[in-house]
Amino acid sequence: MNHWMFNCKEVTYMVSESLDRRLPFFKRIGIRMHLLMCKFCSRFRRQLLLLKEVSRAHGTHLEQFESPVTLSPEARSRIKQTMQQH
Amino acid sequence: MPENRISDPETWVDQFGDYLYNYALSRIQNPSTAEDMVQETFLAALRDRGNFKGLSTERTWLTSILKHKIIDHFRKMSREHPVDDLDSATDFTEDLFDEKGSWTLKPSNWNANPEKLVDRKEFWEILNHCLSDLSKRLALAFRLREIDGMNCDEICNVLKITPSNCWVMLYRARMSIRRCLEIKWFDVKAGEGSQ
Repeated sequence: MNHWMFNCKEVTYMVSESLDRRLPFFKRIGIRMHLLMCKFCSRFRRQLLLLKEVSRAHGTHLEQFESPVTLSPEARSRIKQTMQQH
Repeated sequence: MPENRISDPETWVDQFGDYLYNYALSRIQNPSTAEDMVQETFLAALRDRGNFKGLSTERTWLTSILKHKIIDHFRKMSREHPVDDLDSATDFTEDLFDEKGSWTLKPSNWNANPEKLVDRKEFWEILNHCLSDLSKRLALAFRLREIDGMNCDEICNVLKITPSNCWVMLYRARMSIRRCLEIKWFDVKAGEGSQ
């Protein structure tokens, strides 16, 4: 599909870029026009926003979701010892 | 809110060691470096404990010290190994589009509810798995941006890259993770639903 002036590949790049900086006016309009007509790029955009949202939640709930690892007993006692020397 | 008081440093390792270690390991992926980071964090906290104002919890305070240690570590790595992923990595995004720039592997309908997703431990395991498929620098750029919430200026500063490098790296990381989640999570779930 080649809607408006940008193709899907270009639109995906600009959609990603728009999450990191404010795009110039013509690009914003170009994306919007393309998305109105392209189901797949609209999906793609929703999916990136979802990825952003869940990643942020991941960062704030790290302790709940990471498969928990623990310091080894050796590391634990080494760190304690080093702290006592200071 | 009650003011938070600092606890006896001798109890820190048992109270916060595992949490900080998880935090460091999820970003550094190297167990012995992560252990060193935790140790350095406690030592720095020991020196600075006079400055702990009790405005945050001890754990938050220790985590912020650890964050700085991790960023310093990345800075140092970027100085010592200025490898440019953009040149060396093959750009797999080419495979997703035809020569006219239209989708060849079209995004499927995920039908996802973000609130439900964040409660699913399996989902995080898949996401971590997708992150581990990326090159280290791409994964790092993605983590700094989306998980730690840094902006591109800060990331450029840490990784010693230009803003346009940052946008391209994040684009490639997102494309790869999106596709990986689609294959490993959403398509599988869609298949389960239809049967």
